[in-house]
Amino acid sequence: MEYTWASIVAVLVVVAVELLWLRTGIFRKVTFWISYAIILFFQVLVDGWLTKLSAPIVIYNPDENSGIRIPWDIPVEDYLFGFALIVLTILLWERAGGRGDADRDAPAAGSSGRTGTAQKRRR
Amino acid sequence: MGADRFQYLILMGLCLVITLPLEFLFGARVWRRPRRLAAAMGIPLAIFVVWDVIAIAREHWEYNPKYVTGWELPFDLPVEELAFFLVIPICSLLTLEAVRRVLRRD
Repeated sequence: MEYTWASIVAVLVVVAVELLWLRTGIFRKVTFWISYAIILFFQVLVDGWLTKLSAPIVIYNPDENSGIRIPWDIPVEDYLFGFALIVLTILLWERAGGRGDADRDAPAAGSSGRTGTAQKRRR
Repeated sequence: MGADRFQYLILMGLCLVITLPLEFLFGARVWRRPRRLAAAMGIPLAIFVVWDVIAIAREHWEYNPKYVTGWELPFDLPVEELAFFLVIPICSLLTLEAVRRVLRRD
């Protein structure tokens, strides 16, 4: 069950990083939750292909996970693994988009009505 | 079949191709902010590569030799896994930024 525990801990760590340290506010944004729903849909397609028992690309050791696989043959732990990977990336993307962002909207800013959106993005 | 061993790599390539319109039709601006992209991806890449290496060593999972190239990085890490940790975060950020553009909100 090591994969099970590792994936649970990873999610808790990432959530703690946001709430206690980075505080990007991403969990309060509709944009994030809609995006995550879309990401999850495509994760099921890709991960479903990777893990399908009829022709698996990744083969899981049954001793190291819960054995719960849904839908198709996707181990539930993969959703926690994916959440940790994707949300950590999004948190750091959001943080890098603040004042110190070297690439920040360089060509687009000021050229059109999008300037407002660019400014709002700060937090 | 000769192509089977490229299955995992092709799947990752398809993810990049399918999400490319988010950058250029939806105006996601992820690929065009390479420094911000690198700043976001570096730490997760390092953490998850280490996780993967440990998981492979402790036999949490393995890769079906039929569907991977057999090209391996140090510590038995298939090159496909490195591709995964590069591709999936990029696809996710493209989704986030495209949704942000479509909704016109933060």
